[in-house]
Amino acid sequence: MTYLRQTLRSSLQAAFGALILAALCLAAPQPAPAAGAEQPGTVCIQCHGSLPDRLGAPVKLWRASIHAENGISCNGCHGGDPKDAADAMNRSRGFLGAPKEGEIPAFCGRCHPGVMKDYLASAHGRALGQGGPTCVTCHGNHAVVKASLELINEKSCTRCHSFERARAIRDAMQQTEGYIVGIDRRIRGFQAQGVDTDRLGQGLFAVRNRFHTMFHDVDVARVKGESARINAELGKLDRDLKVVEEARAKRKIAGGIAVAGLLLMAVLFHLLRKTYD
Amino acid sequence: MGLFKRLYDWIDLRIGAREIVEKELTGYLLPRNINGWYSLGSVLLVIFALQVATGTLLMIYYVPDAEKAFKSVTFIMNELPYGWLIRLCHAVGSNMMVAVLLLHMLSTMMMGSYKSPRELNWLTGFILFTLVQGISLTGYLAPWSQLSFWATTVATNSAAAIPVAGPYLVEFLRGGKLVGPPTLGRFFALHVAVMPVTIAALIGAHLFVLKRTGISTPPFGGELSRNPWPVQSYRYHGHPGGIPFFPNYLLQDLTSICIYLAIFLAVVFYAPSLLFTPDAFIPANPFQTPAHIKPEWYFLANYQTLKIFPSELLGLSVQAAAMTFLALLPFIDRSPERNPLKRPVFLVCAIGGFLLWVGLTIWGHFS
Amino acid sequence: MENDGRRKFLGVCLAGATVAAAAAALYPVFQYLAPRSGKTGADKLVFAASDIPEGEAKFFEYAGSSAVLVKTNAGVVVVLSAVCTHLGCIVQWEKDKQDFICPCHAGHYSPDGIVLSGPPPRPLAKIPFTVAGGEITVG
Repeated sequence: MTYLRQTLRSSLQAAFGALILAALCLAAPQPAPAAGAEQPGTVCIQCHGSLPDRLGAPVKLWRASIHAENGISCNGCHGGDPKDAADAMNRSRGFLGAPKEGEIPAFCGRCHPGVMKDYLASAHGRALGQGGPTCVTCHGNHAVVKASLELINEKSCTRCHSFERARAIRDAMQQTEGYIVGIDRRIRGFQAQGVDTDRLGQGLFAVRNRFHTMFHDVDVARVKGESARINAELGKLDRDLKVVEEARAKRKIAGGIAVAGLLLMAVLFHLLRKTYD
Repeated sequence: MGLFKRLYDWIDLRIGAREIVEKELTGYLLPRNINGWYSLGSVLLVIFALQVATGTLLMIYYVPDAEKAFKSVTFIMNELPYGWLIRLCHAVGSNMMVAVLLLHMLSTMMMGSYKSPRELNWLTGFILFTLVQGISLTGYLAPWSQLSFWATTVATNSAAAIPVAGPYLVEFLRGGKLVGPPTLGRFFALHVAVMPVTIAALIGAHLFVLKRTGISTPPFGGELSRNPWPVQSYRYHGHPGGIPFFPNYLLQDLTSICIYLAIFLAVVFYAPSLLFTPDAFIPANPFQTPAHIKPEWYFLANYQTLKIFPSELLGLSVQAAAMTFLALLPFIDRSPERNPLKRPVFLVCAIGGFLLWVGLTIWGHFS
Repeated sequence: MENDGRRKFLGVCLAGATVAAAAAALYPVFQYLAPRSGKTGADKLVFAASDIPEGEAKFFEYAGSSAVLVKTNAGVVVVLSAVCTHLGCIVQWEKDKQDFICPCHAGHYSPDGIVLSGPPPRPLAKIPFTVAGGEITVG
């Protein structure tokens, strides 16, 4: 069986050649690991990331935060030079250190002024320094995540008082929050299909922020009043989304007709071919 | 249709149209036992034509500038009437082209149509395969989304493993150290001008060789399934007593084309998200790498192979060896037998290789 | 032969289907290529110039989103989009500082809409307007 021997011989030759090549490659110096495109890191993370216990714990907490997701590192809140290890914690270069309890609202309020204003005017803000909560009490300091209604829960609020009032506010906000979450999901769904959701996304973000910041005032009456206005704005977004959804539904119908038509044509062509055989 | 006949006669008097029709259409005889797999070639021609048409239409509104590319694509998808349809047809079509091409290649391998005297067909086809992969890769960068940017970064990075010339090659490909506006410029020129023309030329060569050598007979159905080779002089492989291309096999081609178009439009209208991750709609950000960047499905096996081997050079070499083996298949497998059931060694290797590729692809998807 | 009858029938059906398919394919292409009429502009809005005191800003709805008309202390009128270019919150006017501040992440803009500090990546978009006979027409 010459051809079998021939085929075997050729295959073995090829395999042998490949093995030689592989051996050569193993002998060749290992290339440096491909430089993945890494984000520019700050010296803060580089140093504290490898420290133990209390000094290193914030890094791990921060990694799960929405600040980390958006590229905001330690120097964004604590100041200091993020590129120069020698001056990273130099107060004359803007380093602020960790704020004391009473300084916390101003610390966070440097970037979140709207929330700070509402908080300071509220019962919570007026109790600052006298056993009242700071931003960190509910939001945490390093593992800060995207705000949601879950922050208002029995375990958290009953640290200082009964849950009744908090529950009242939470219930008042529940429906609107659900509306917001629903619209957010639909917008993200459309974005994944290529719809231009910039204007809608921004509109939702603005409404959501106005809505959430209201809580810091812990005033149920105000929440209920504003909710009506907020719901109206959400209604507008809802209508815009419905227009997109209707257009999509029409496309699907047109697509169905096209596919069915083509399958019909395939059958007809096939039958026509059979008449010639 | 007296007018038609008069027109036909007028043309025939000048260029001998009747002769051509007889030779290429009604008189072009195909083997009696020809099957549907032989129509995949025409399906590929239709896909290529559609890609050129939709690509040209997209070029009218697309701007190949890093600052404006993403916005122009968003404009096409949202503001322009039916822009979404043209864009989706182009994107889905490119994936379909690779899929149908793989089927065409597999059927050719199974029926042993790569064997002598058809080595040139296989070689031109193989070059077309690499060109189609290349045109898909260059086109992927055009929308300048997070997916485009980072998939191109990963893909061009792998060239760095080549010894000596590697890093320079990567810079040459990218037009700079990192993917950026120069990359978009050269990839766009390749995608829109160089590669389509080269592909068209090679399709011409592929078809020319096919017509000159003569189409193969499927090795099933009792007829002799061994190639009469080697011969002393050139001989056209005709099929006397076979079925005419026109209208018989043309109708088979049309049937297959309609089935393809039905599947194609079903994906375009009902499952475009098969091919678009949310990252495809976020503008490129050179400072933020998304969590799970993966190449398109047809590159997943390559991607996974690189991940398995500890050294990138080894991973690349293994793939290069595999591709070389595939390219030289007609020179390695010289037996004249074409029926797959009578080629056990080949069958085992082919099915094994195919399963390996599928396995690597699935693994690459989940890793 | 019965085949002839069948062939004719199938031929006619297919010819019709092909024409329909070709029309269905060409219609979107034609629409895609046809020149588009100029954007139907949003309704214009008119304000009396005396409505807005100097150093103050007036917020209103324009083209589906928030806009602001500012008259600086020097009497200069500017009309801008009030949507912050960072993440889309509506900016607020600070009368004492004569600038815009975004309540969400403290982005600061000059009365011209230029970014003074904070995360916004671009200045506030300008909206065209004309001033004539004591009236400001936006759009």
